[in-house]
Amino acid sequence: MLSECFIASTLASSKAPASASLRDVGVCVHEFQPTLNLRSTFKKSSTAANCLAVSPSHVFAAQSEKAIVHVYSREKGNQEATVPFPERIRSIAVAGGKNGDVLVLGTEGGRLILWETCTGRQVATTASHLRPVTALVVDPNSNFILSGSSDASVHVWSLVDLLSFTKPPSGRDRQPPNSPIRTFSNHRAAIASIAVGHSTGRYNIAVSAAQDNTAIAWDYHTGRVLRTFLLPSSAISLALDPADRAFYVGYEDGSIQSIDFYKNQSIQHPLHDPSLQSTPSQPPAEDRWAPPSTDCGAAHALTLSYDGMTLLSGHQNGKVLSWAVGRKKYASTAADYTHPVTNLFMLPPNGIPHPSLDLKRVAHTIIKPRYDHTLSESSQAAGAVPADYTFSAHLLPSISKSDSAKPDEFAAAFSHAYFPESMLEEGLAELAAFSQSGSNGAPVSSIAQGISDEELAAKDSQIFQLEEQLAMLKKKSSINETARQSTTEEVTQLRSDLANLHDYVNELHEKQAQAQREKVLRQARKEERETRRREAWFAAEKKGKKGDAVLRKMDAEDTVMTSDTDDQSSDDQ
Amino acid sequence: MAYMSMSLHAVNHRLTNVPVKHLPHFASSIAASISNCGELLSTPQSQKAKADSDNAVQVHKLMTRLGSLLQDRTYEGRWTAVVLVKALVEAGQWEILRGCEPFVRGLISILAKSDPVSTKKMCIITLTRIFHLTYQYPTLVREITTPALPGFITAALNLISVKPSSEPIRRLKPNTPFVEVVLQAFGELIARHPTIFRPFTSQIHSILQTIIGSTSPTFSELVLDIAQKLFISLHNCAPKNTGGEEWKSACRMTITSVHATSSYVLRAIMEQWESVDPSLRQMSQPQNYSQEVGNGPDALGLSGWQGLNAGVNRLVVLLRMLSGFVGTATASTVTIPVGAILDLTARLNMVTVPSGDNNIQANPQIGRAEREHLLTELPRIHVACMKLLLHLVNALETSAISVAQTILEQALWIFRAEKFDREVCTAVYDLVSALLTQIGPSMTKQSVSSLTGIIRTCCHDLLPPTGNQAPAAEKPDPKSKNKSNQTTVNADSFLNPGLKQVRQTSSSSSFPYLKRAASDLLVAALAHAPTEFISPALRAEIDRTIILTSDKNAMLSSVLNPFPAMQGRGVGTSIMPFLARSYPAETEVECLIRPRMPVLMNAPATNGYAPMDEDEDEKAEAAVAPQPAPAASGFLKNTPTPSLHHDMMDVEVTRQPTPQSKRSYTEEVEAPAPAPAPSTVPSPGSQSKKARFEPETVTQPPLDAASPATFTGTAAISVPSSSIAGPTPVPTSKPIVSSAKQPSTLQSTSATETAEDDSDDELPSLNIDPDTDDEEDDE
Repeated sequence: MLSECFIASTLASSKAPASASLRDVGVCVHEFQPTLNLRSTFKKSSTAANCLAVSPSHVFAAQSEKAIVHVYSREKGNQEATVPFPERIRSIAVAGGKNGDVLVLGTEGGRLILWETCTGRQVATTASHLRPVTALVVDPNSNFILSGSSDASVHVWSLVDLLSFTKPPSGRDRQPPNSPIRTFSNHRAAIASIAVGHSTGRYNIAVSAAQDNTAIAWDYHTGRVLRTFLLPSSAISLALDPADRAFYVGYEDGSIQSIDFYKNQSIQHPLHDPSLQSTPSQPPAEDRWAPPSTDCGAAHALTLSYDGMTLLSGHQNGKVLSWAVGRKKYASTAADYTHPVTNLFMLPPNGIPHPSLDLKRVAHTIIKPRYDHTLSESSQAAGAVPADYTFSAHLLPSISKSDSAKPDEFAAAFSHAYFPESMLEEGLAELAAFSQSGSNGAPVSSIAQGISDEELAAKDSQIFQLEEQLAMLKKKSSINETARQSTTEEVTQLRSDLANLHDYVNELHEKQAQAQREKVLRQARKEERETRRREAWFAAEKKGKKGDAVLRKMDAEDTVMTSDTDDQSSDDQ
Repeated sequence: MAYMSMSLHAVNHRLTNVPVKHLPHFASSIAASISNCGELLSTPQSQKAKADSDNAVQVHKLMTRLGSLLQDRTYEGRWTAVVLVKALVEAGQWEILRGCEPFVRGLISILAKSDPVSTKKMCIITLTRIFHLTYQYPTLVREITTPALPGFITAALNLISVKPSSEPIRRLKPNTPFVEVVLQAFGELIARHPTIFRPFTSQIHSILQTIIGSTSPTFSELVLDIAQKLFISLHNCAPKNTGGEEWKSACRMTITSVHATSSYVLRAIMEQWESVDPSLRQMSQPQNYSQEVGNGPDALGLSGWQGLNAGVNRLVVLLRMLSGFVGTATASTVTIPVGAILDLTARLNMVTVPSGDNNIQANPQIGRAEREHLLTELPRIHVACMKLLLHLVNALETSAISVAQTILEQALWIFRAEKFDREVCTAVYDLVSALLTQIGPSMTKQSVSSLTGIIRTCCHDLLPPTGNQAPAAEKPDPKSKNKSNQTTVNADSFLNPGLKQVRQTSSSSSFPYLKRAASDLLVAALAHAPTEFISPALRAEIDRTIILTSDKNAMLSSVLNPFPAMQGRGVGTSIMPFLARSYPAETEVECLIRPRMPVLMNAPATNGYAPMDEDEDEKAEAAVAPQPAPAASGFLKNTPTPSLHHDMMDVEVTRQPTPQSKRSYTEEVEAPAPAPAPSTVPSPGSQSKKARFEPETVTQPPLDAASPATFTGTAAISVPSSSIAGPTPVPTSKPIVSSAKQPSTLQSTSATETAEDDSDDELPSLNIDPDTDDEEDDE
């Protein structure tokens, strides 16, 4: 929701607040638009004017008449720390741009103390002011500090010079370190308030008001006076228009005056018109806006709403008055805190994007100043950043990812309403390839897709080669097989031949044996016949017959017989 | 609504009637229809009237159909389902999300199936998106994310790695196409659901170590980048409140690891560096110089490396990781070791390529080959260093001012030694631009002059590389230029006159990063460095470069930050005419040249300045000068969205021709003025009632008349010399003092331009102080 708040701090007084919710309260966060109501409070604080500083994470309140600063956490809404300092603090301001992580403190003794709230480092300057530092502002670049003092001078300090570990090569001769780079001494009395313009360029202005009833607009880059305004009385507070068109002055009597830079119809920027610079101008009395009542007291603090059209002023009687800038008069009472309102800060509205105020990091807690650190710093080698210099912050995710300009498929798909067209096409192509290759498993197709044609060709040729080899091997093996078969056949043939031969040999042996036997038998028969013939011859002889005739007869018989047997034997053999 | 229910019908019809095999071709158009039905889908069920019951049925039907498609047997069906689920979830927001639990289960089961790569990739993205969208609804987180996320993490991890049982680590699968998408998804989710990721930390850690530490199969830069981011984000998972500690120790370990690696990588050189951290001073261990350079596992648990090339790669990867530490969002407050980082970069930046007087001391124990190899690799290391420092400056922003000078010096060392390398130049330009925005305004003359070399090189890089233009700039004599041209130009340029042109255009497109960085640096230098400390010669070179490159931003910042007028030199010069010629239609140029004065104005009655003087140029008035004069009522209402400027502009335009505003005229030199006829007398009564106004008396000069007169050759900005307010008939106590002094100031300021004084022609010049009279106030 769009809302706008302001922060007010009060100086403790003897009066008791009317409402119980304001008891003990020193700093209030108050909703200003759309409805006026108290948002939150921080207790136990009493601040003089210019002694409140607000960073995005913390509120720093320098306690009046004390040498301590109360640190309140805006996130947690409580008091986070009480930080003591060696001197009384008369004014504080936050440096470090939108992060606000350097606190600048102006002391009673006229020096500045710089405290890096994220590192705990603390740097003190020379006591260049002769009196207490009563007004402090830091320019929008966070490069310069403007400090005003009751000694009527305004010093300009270079924040970079003060904080840098390595001192930049200095062209300033004979200057002690940590001293102001410039002094503005056109005022004749104590400085009451300083306001700085909203430009980050080098033509930014500063407006300072002093108790000599003057307000001077000047260029803090050069120290040149741009315009002197003679005020009807002594100004105690200042606020500058968001577009630097005018400034507003709060007076002791509670009245406000608006001073418009553009009163004169110059073509040139009126502040840079040299014809006007040397001449003090006196704003008309009509521009002075009267307070609603005379008892509201001095206007200690002024702040402008975001649009610059409503001015809030904090008064001595505890009221915060709202003034309409357009009508130049009092509009309403925004709040009543009973105690004198000494500081007012309008916070940037919630709900409007502030590209320039987007934080990249946030400091949830502060690091208290480390005194040992500052002591060791002087003993360190000149210019070296000590190894234990650490920075505590919570790094936030950056909203605009400008640095990662690379095309990121994931991020594109992630934030797309469904999927980017390129991704869908890729998927379709894959599906098509997938269905072509048949549904033989995703890994194959995914691998196949990954393989380039070149590889495919190479594989093909390899496969071809392999197949050839395979065929050759097959042929070889078949040849071998047939060869082996033929040899075994041969062997079996030979074996059978051998067996036949053996058989033949045996047969022959048998035949031989038979023949032998028959021969023996025939011999025996022959011998028998011989014997019979002889016996027959002898018998015939005995009988006296002629043995020879018997023999002849017997021979005839024998030839028949022997021819038979001879035929037989010849058959056998 | 009618259209939406119709298209929902059509979607359902197509989903049920088109064969599943053909659905993927319709997926894109169906998804588009679904996302157009966002309003209908996200309407809460309770709010739906009876007439909408048909819609409810259709929505239900769609969800059921998608649920069944997710379980479909075909790849095509599942692919389509994934696409449509994403569209549905994006369109329907809470109403759909609360019923998407079955989708989540179906999607996770797809991850384990053998689906095509694209299905799985889209599956992971869809799931991540669902978990991302549910994050803002605690009930949905309880119902959907918390139960399903562990399953998703396991499934995703299984896609890219294998887990040996009984060990809490995983081994990365080689060549898996899912590494990038899985890591992206984890990076997206880990910061939101740290407790769910906690049990998987060691598994993820081991995978990341493999990716970051891999030397031989290096991963693409994108994957490395994501892996580093995820590695850094792992600290989110630390048990409560120790995230900051975890981050810090990881960051410290990275720094230690870089130191250890550089001890080996830089061994060919005797380092001059001495750490500011006493613990690092005695860190160096004796090395075996005879071996090839290499290192074992380091503090981060990354595997060892061998060879100088791998060592430099590792160094660059670690430095980028360190940049990631300062550039990535953290879970809680962390302690950035600024001192240690600067110590580290000082060590690496101190070793530069030898140039002239700056010589390195070689380590005699190392051969020449390795030393020369190292020197050629140095620019890569330094680019990584510069980027680290840039990240540091961007993270610290204004708090970087305490270390900005240190960083600037380191950048200058590198630049002086290695400006021949384009990458180094680009990185240095970026870094210096970032530093200038932080510390520019309070730079001293010495600091600015130390940048001269960089700015000159920057101009040289921006200019077309014609080689012979540089001598031409120094010797403006056209004859000598021609001669030198003839001797140096190659013969091709005679044969083909168009060649030069071609080369110019091609070269300007070849190093876009360098050009962009160089042009940004010029803008930063003009806008932030004090212009009076830039030497006139350098400024002339810058302006010349800007004109030749027609860089709008640089031109604007040159015009807005003019060179301060020197004593006795008359008016300063400006390149405004070039800007007006190059970009006549740009808003910025219009703002600059024809400003509508930013005047805080109000009702004339309260102002007390009713009749005002102004110039007599009606036509210019009508053309260009809206008079800021908002009605009082516009300011008074306490609108919650105050937008002052728009209010003003609107009112101006409508009320501008109001005849009430009469003009008085008091300029004595100029033409007859109409009689002062104040129509509005300031009266107390009218203050609050009348919401009237007076057109502001900004005199808007006739620019069309002024331009030819003043924009001649010299490009001078004329000093406005007239139109200072005269006394008014208002009962003021006294007239404005300045009007009395007018004649004298006129003479003093317009001494150089008397010719123009007589005419009405004036140039509007916004806050430019070309006068020389007030210089005594400076310093």
